[in-house]
Amino acid sequence: MFGIFMESFVILKLYTGLKLLFLLSALAWGYLLVTEKNKSIRTLLVYAPVIVVALFLFPVSRKGFVAIGLDGETYYRILWTIPFGIIFVYGICRLFEQHRRIGLLAGTVLTIVCGSYVYKGAYISKAENLYHIPDTVVEICDLIGPEDAKSRVSAVMPEELIHFVRQYDASINMPYGREMLVNAWDYYNAVYEAMEKPRVVDMEELLKATREEYCQYIVMSKERETNQDPEKCGLLLLEEIDGYLIYEDPVTVQIVNEWQNYYEDDEG
Amino acid sequence: MTVVKILGLIVWLVVVPFCMGLVFLPLFKERFKSVGTVFVAGYILFFTALELVGIPIVLFTVYNGLTIFTRWFTPLILVLSLAGAGIALWEKKRGYGLSFAGFDRFKESSPEEKIVMLLFLGLVGFQVYMSFTRASFDGDDAYYGVQAVIAQQVDTLYRVNPYTGRSAPLDVRHALALFPVWEAYLGKMCGIHATIIAHSVVPLVLIPLTYVLYFQIGKALFGGKRKQLPMFMMLIALWQLFGNISIYTTETFFLTRTWQGKSFAGNFVIPAVLWIFLCLFASGEKEDTIVPKGMKNQGKWLGRAVHTNIGEKGLWILLACLNLAGGASSSLAILLSCMMTAGFGFLFSVRERKFGILTKAGFSCVLGGIYVLLYLLLTHGIFVP
Repeated sequence: MFGIFMESFVILKLYTGLKLLFLLSALAWGYLLVTEKNKSIRTLLVYAPVIVVALFLFPVSRKGFVAIGLDGETYYRILWTIPFGIIFVYGICRLFEQHRRIGLLAGTVLTIVCGSYVYKGAYISKAENLYHIPDTVVEICDLIGPEDAKSRVSAVMPEELIHFVRQYDASINMPYGREMLVNAWDYYNAVYEAMEKPRVVDMEELLKATREEYCQYIVMSKERETNQDPEKCGLLLLEEIDGYLIYEDPVTVQIVNEWQNYYEDDEG
Repeated sequence: MTVVKILGLIVWLVVVPFCMGLVFLPLFKERFKSVGTVFVAGYILFFTALELVGIPIVLFTVYNGLTIFTRWFTPLILVLSLAGAGIALWEKKRGYGLSFAGFDRFKESSPEEKIVMLLFLGLVGFQVYMSFTRASFDGDDAYYGVQAVIAQQVDTLYRVNPYTGRSAPLDVRHALALFPVWEAYLGKMCGIHATIIAHSVVPLVLIPLTYVLYFQIGKALFGGKRKQLPMFMMLIALWQLFGNISIYTTETFFLTRTWQGKSFAGNFVIPAVLWIFLCLFASGEKEDTIVPKGMKNQGKWLGRAVHTNIGEKGLWILLACLNLAGGASSSLAILLSCMMTAGFGFLFSVRERKFGILTKAGFSCVLGGIYVLLYLLLTHGIFVP
């Protein structure tokens, strides 16, 4: 039980980032605890957050959370029910009720100094298009995507493009997707093993795996090392787009076309 | 063509939800008949309808899911919007129409308040601009974003593995949270790719909508002391902008994952529960307006809530709707909103020694409770559609 308590405590620490912004909320909460006279507001902004934190840290809560089928990794979201921002801002508004200009200035400076700007960070970039996915992905998908809306193609993509492909075109299937990139999930996929695991890609291994999965296209970074020239292994280089080589596998294309013709004849 | 698409977006994202919110007008007291309240209420009703129509279709339809959903959902929301518009006209004739007092109050406010309010609007504008011009990478989009694209392009709801595109059994863990279906629906109705809807369009509405909700919370908190409202709003907008103290906070979700249901859960559904309880327990206006006779100058009256709103049916009904609507964003959201409702209900019923409050809170969790029960049956394999 103590272990579960400590785990929850660590989650709480991670949630706050141990940043001063959390401290501001805590100070404002203390101020409201002492001064707030409106009992409704006291109940919602002073008492309820304490109860939530207590329940959050209580080991049985976490056990119950997982027992009802919820993902333990989302346990931190219970803390969303504490309105940290409202507590701080309401507290500072009350504190500087008679000196609003000073309060506004103090609140602004404290928030900026103690907080962390949301748009800084490696994951925010200038949008290249309205889809907010890389233009490179759009171009590759336009090249290999099926012309007929009812058809499907299958393509192996490098790791860095995997997230975006099906956000653009759901008719492009992939032998593996994001699930292979999350270490905690620990899945196995033969194509992934051949494509991403070795430093130098063994083309025979890769083609064996992709043909078993009926992948018509293989997209590789130009920088990716292979033990043989892919074209000498029977692949057809369609185009190079922004440093990515798009290969078609004529063997798989023929097999898939035969199927499609068979099913079309069958339907006809 | 672009103009038609933009007009379509305005209709489905602003006009229809707003008109749906007008349905609540006869149920609200005068002070809640503001444009902001109606807009928030409209979105709550919109997502309630989405869940009511969408869940059976997701569970029992394998093919053409979005087409069938559109066939049922569109008439329902149009009827509700027309009903709302009709009710608003009828109420206006009776002299109880929509209140625009907030705009008048802004005109009458001091220059200082106006400047602070404009600074706040500038911050909101900046956040909206950034949401449109900046791409925020998040791995979960490979799941949620793709579910919307699959719904739109393949016409199948939660029965395709979004990572690979292979057919899959119904994904029961996510199948009740229909936020991606809403984005696919918008895309279908306006002829826009679902990913554009999610990344470029939805934030333009959800960011302002969240601040409309915060404005209502501010009104409930400050009541008669409206002079503090501009300062409250500006600091809240700054807090959202600098609240990225970890990847887990609602503020981080709000501006980097706006289009995902979980962000809507943390930034709209949960604060909305708080707002409704603030409204129900009349946290503000009594200072200036509704001080009961004989209680003035007693000093303690502030602590004795003047419960003019506990019997407010509209707010309880809205709470009941919210406790289902939250399920559109995530299954956890509905559990949290129901727990908040029950918890707050318990606290207030103990404080007021009125069991009726707990009963009302309980009734407002009925729809949400059914959702949670369904989720448990599905995830534990007891009910297999």
